[in-house]
Amino acid sequence: MRDVAVVSFAQSPCVPANRDDDMAEIVLPVLRDALDAAGLGRDDVDFFASGSHDFFEGRTFSYIESLDAVGAWPPISESHVEMDAAWAFAEAWAWLQLGEGEIALVYGIGRGSLPADLDQVLPAQLDPYLLAPLRPHRDALAGLQAAAMVDAGLTSERQLAEVVARCLAAATANPAAQTSGRPSVAELLAAPYVASPLRAHDVAPFGDAAAVVVLAAGPAARRLAERPAWVRGLDHRMDTHYPGARDLTRCDSAQLAGARAAELAGFAAADAEVAELHTEYSHQEALLVTALGLEKAQLNPSGGPLAGRPATATGLVRLGEAARRIMDGGAERAVAHATNGPALQHNLVCLLAGEPG
Amino acid sequence: MKLPEPVTTMASPLRMEYTYVAGAGRSVFLRALAERRMLARRCPGCAQVYLPPPEFCSRCLRPLGAPFELDGRGVVSTFCVVNFPFPGQVYEPPYVVAHIRIDGADTRLMHLVREVAPERVRIGLRVEPVWVADHELATSMTSIRYYRPVEPADA
Amino acid sequence: MSTPLAVIGVGQSRQAKRREVTIGALVREAVDGALADAELGFADIDAVVLSKTPDLFDGVMNPELYLADAMGAVGLPVTRVFTGGSVGGHAAIFGAHLVTAGLARRVLVVAYSKESEGNFTWALSRALPFSAHLGAGAGGHFAPVIREYIRRSGAPEHIGWQVAVNHRRNAARNPYAHIRRAGITLDEVRDSPVLWDPIRYLESCPSSDGSCAVVITDAAHAAHAPNPPAWIHGLAWRTETGHFAGRDEVNPRAGRDCAADAYRQAGITDPAREVDVAELYIPYSWYEPIWLENIGLAEEHRGWRLVDAGRTAFDGDLPVNPSGGVLSGNPTGATGLLRFAEAALQVRGMAGEHQVAGARRAIGHAMGGASQFHALWVVGRERPEVAR
Repeated sequence: MRDVAVVSFAQSPCVPANRDDDMAEIVLPVLRDALDAAGLGRDDVDFFASGSHDFFEGRTFSYIESLDAVGAWPPISESHVEMDAAWAFAEAWAWLQLGEGEIALVYGIGRGSLPADLDQVLPAQLDPYLLAPLRPHRDALAGLQAAAMVDAGLTSERQLAEVVARCLAAATANPAAQTSGRPSVAELLAAPYVASPLRAHDVAPFGDAAAVVVLAAGPAARRLAERPAWVRGLDHRMDTHYPGARDLTRCDSAQLAGARAAELAGFAAADAEVAELHTEYSHQEALLVTALGLEKAQLNPSGGPLAGRPATATGLVRLGEAARRIMDGGAERAVAHATNGPALQHNLVCLLAGEPG
Repeated sequence: MKLPEPVTTMASPLRMEYTYVAGAGRSVFLRALAERRMLARRCPGCAQVYLPPPEFCSRCLRPLGAPFELDGRGVVSTFCVVNFPFPGQVYEPPYVVAHIRIDGADTRLMHLVREVAPERVRIGLRVEPVWVADHELATSMTSIRYYRPVEPADA
Repeated sequence: MSTPLAVIGVGQSRQAKRREVTIGALVREAVDGALADAELGFADIDAVVLSKTPDLFDGVMNPELYLADAMGAVGLPVTRVFTGGSVGGHAAIFGAHLVTAGLARRVLVVAYSKESEGNFTWALSRALPFSAHLGAGAGGHFAPVIREYIRRSGAPEHIGWQVAVNHRRNAARNPYAHIRRAGITLDEVRDSPVLWDPIRYLESCPSSDGSCAVVITDAAHAAHAPNPPAWIHGLAWRTETGHFAGRDEVNPRAGRDCAADAYRQAGITDPAREVDVAELYIPYSWYEPIWLENIGLAEEHRGWRLVDAGRTAFDGDLPVNPSGGVLSGNPTGATGLLRFAEAALQVRGMAGEHQVAGARRAIGHAMGGASQFHALWVVGRERPEVAR
């Protein structure tokens, strides 16, 4: 595998609702920041990959608008996934393996605030014949998973509250976080359920933001960043779609992705000092810690999605935040995770390090 | 026991409501439309004039310059005749949808062309905007009801 | 490190206005076909790439999730690509990249549309807030471009009708095609209702349900394939932004650059001579001369002459869309992959009744958006000497 590293990461603050800017106006300043930080111009980029989804934007072909922020002229090599932009990161990493270019730029935008009611939208992710007609509300399946976790003794409501308290407190140091604070566990436990045992704060709040990550290969990476965050391993896997057909207290696809990434990396998530996990719900932290075999990692030092979930940019932000810890010199090894689908059906795991393989 | 007939279809209506954000750049343009003004902006990089103007040039990625007004007249650059019934139609077919190059702008505007028989529309036809009545003005392209030939003889 | 790549399996479903199967079953038809062609099982596949057009067309969001089981993708890496109508092409290219990158040995690329689940016309023509209510739809976007091509090239009006006759007669030889009209005549096309002047009804694509799948692998694995592989000689994609002043949508540079890159990889210097068959993304008949010129198979303003001379008909020297093309079936999420797959079938000698005799090299082409997204591959019967 060719050595590829993250050399720059930028994001816009995740806000509950941005009613001023269109897609391109949100993405462009972030793109500028990411390129400036690496000393690059737009013309230096050999490949662009992006992630977003029409059902958050509310119109077809919405991603074409985001291209206005990229300045795709003269014509560029580019592709797009209608998924979390973490999968665009995976595509860019794969593209750089081809040896056709040195620098790839990944951008993601997610505007969770545009749908008036996510209960109208999110059930569309489910089997249209057997599950979607039940119209489970947006957190129902997660609630089932959390209840299963509690019943199995793998977590407790108190532990969920502790996760939230820790994340919100960590988010106070993150200017991009949508929400932050220092609620006590008792305060959190006093709140009513939204999907028992989940309370509102156990659900990552949707917001609007864009994120950009610049990847570079080998010598280019060393030239562009003082301390590149090397992508040592990356893999993604899916579980079966039907929540009733799998054990919701485990995440086999995350475990498999973690194991495959570790084969490439030469080290495992257990060795990571930092883990940025795409926890859409607080109970998923314990689940992922087990699935990935995390041992000593500081979990979601950015505050994680529980402090702000910019829809299809959320997973890319995890990759960026994990890379940033390495680029800052705060960690030698980090793991980032992204997810999509009911109860962690689809998972991506990336292992990053301060040294190339 | 006879089995029931298999289900071959099931209705699964979806309804999704969204907020649409015009954006900082386009909002300036839209507000001017409510005053029957057409604003354009020039890119300081490539000197191209955009109408409607977004916030920045999608080629140079530079913020566009200050808005200035154009009178809204222009030339049909290309067009088609919509000939059949269609969701979202305001007028009964046949009617003309054209790309119009507004005098002073480098981009083209898409709009209806009326007050002329469709077969008499041609590339190069000079057209002007027909604004709606005061009470119908809004921050929307619908403030222009349609375009029509400048010269009545063309109609 | 680079190895030649090949398509070793192609599958597709029957296309129709409405297939009375579930979305999963529709996808499975193509997947089963591709795996059977390659004599592989699900366990032999390392990665899946899914191609699909806007989820608003059928109301299923992130369909890769629901389709995990239908695609045999449980336990595999899955990516769902979307780049407008070119998505099938982009997905095939990304699938090939995964093999070249060493991340997969055999990739299953899957594409589908079940347009009948929703209303594709409605989904494309919903007026956005603050916009003019034009009620134009897809054709209303492309018709003005066609008019500009006609003006520039001086093409006579019957060219569009001739392309429609060619493609529709070709479809009669393709058991999978949605629309098959063997005896269609120029007069019938000319007399069909004008939809968006100058586009006529019989010059337009339908809205179809259909699916397609291909298996892409490297030379080592292609050596074991039971049926002749289609070797990938060149592949490329390019995107250009849509909204800037001075953009030429009739002959977009992204399309020219894309084709040039693929030809360079394939060692092609005179494409019209060196290519035997072309499967092009032609949703409205006039796009045949437009793309012939754009991808270098004809000189500028002269694409229509190839049509007029009968060279692009099935018995011509450069048949275009022997499958019947997009005019005969347009399951939008699969349409691009179908062009790429049909090109592969031609050089494998496996196109059945619509096989072009002696096809050694073929082009598969796809376009998306307002001609912003372009994808193209050149496939051949012979294994390339050096990796592309």
